[in-house]
Amino acid sequence: MSDLVSEFFLVVAAILVVNAFLCLYRGAAGPTIQDRIIGINIVNTKTMVVLLVLSTFLGEELYLDIALVYALLNFVVTITISRYIET
Amino acid sequence: MKLKAMSRTVRETIPLALFLFFLWLIFTEKTNWEHLLLGAIVAALFARISFFMVGGRLDPNLNWKVALRFFPFAALLSWEIMKASWDVLTRVFRPSLPISPRIIEFDSILDSDIAKTMLANSITLTPGTVTVEIEGKRFYVHCLAQEHESGLLEGKLERMVAWLFAEGPDDMRGLR
Amino acid sequence: MGSVAKDVLTVIFGLTGVLFFIGGTVGLLRCPDLYSRLHPATKCDTVGSCSITIALALQIGLDIALFKIMVVILLLLVTSASSGHAIGRSAFKTGVMPWHKKGVVPWPLKGEDRWTGR
Repeated sequence: MSDLVSEFFLVVAAILVVNAFLCLYRGAAGPTIQDRIIGINIVNTKTMVVLLVLSTFLGEELYLDIALVYALLNFVVTITISRYIET
Repeated sequence: MKLKAMSRTVRETIPLALFLFFLWLIFTEKTNWEHLLLGAIVAALFARISFFMVGGRLDPNLNWKVALRFFPFAALLSWEIMKASWDVLTRVFRPSLPISPRIIEFDSILDSDIAKTMLANSITLTPGTVTVEIEGKRFYVHCLAQEHESGLLEGKLERMVAWLFAEGPDDMRGLR
Repeated sequence: MGSVAKDVLTVIFGLTGVLFFIGGTVGLLRCPDLYSRLHPATKCDTVGSCSITIALALQIGLDIALFKIMVVILLLLVTSASSGHAIGRSAFKTGVMPWHKKGVVPWPLKGEDRWTGR
């Protein structure tokens, strides 16, 4: 893989991090509690994709396992909180 | 070892155990016999425990025909998902924000739980529609605009899912 | 496939993914109520992450890391729709009213009354 593609994907990861911070606004200011859950859910998804990109282009194999755990925790947290506030 | 001789529970546990063992192989990347043995033990144990907790039975609507039919279904569904995402993307970026959302309800022709789950997930992933609640056979769907409502009520997705699980009236099945 | 063509395809898929992710963020910030925010949240993010994964798979080639990424992304495909459904259901049950334009009936209509609400 060429250096140019590698640098391009590092820029992509930076853009995704900025996006995640913008989504955090919805998590902090959402009028209802469900808005906050959506915000946190999206921040988690973006973090997971950033981890995948970094693991590929920085050569860190360990980040892949962390990404898997992130995806699982994201799902469990969303389901648990939304079922909890439903009752 | 003959399959007939085993008890029913053991026979139904084996596919899940094989799947878990495959995941173990992918995530450990090691082929020592110690690691393989440990993986086999853990996979068998967890398959047994999860069957004990779920109730010891796979959904009877799942069989090999459904598994084979799933591939054309998934191809069609991913095409629909791409169109839907492009549609939502263009709506979101337009300065006037051309949406007119509301919730509609309709009765499905599908019976079994797994078919209704698949239909709900497909609706959530395709054109501007999100399933918010299912009561019995009644679906409550939030639609983003009127085109999405009419697209949903044509029932193309429902026919696809009915074809996948071979359910519902005969004339309602089919990919088109 | 030459190396240059592969790199060009990778960059194209990466740009598509970034476009969809930015669309998801903009939709989350602009839409007027909870139910409409679910649409960009569940769709744009799924397609964006799949697109970036295809780009990564082109660069990795056949390797054990490819299988790991595939497992992660299949998990994401299954779970994102379910979490969107769970959030919408909890909002529906706790009685969050949907935002609507003037003259549109926002709540369930069934049978022949389906179209009279507009």
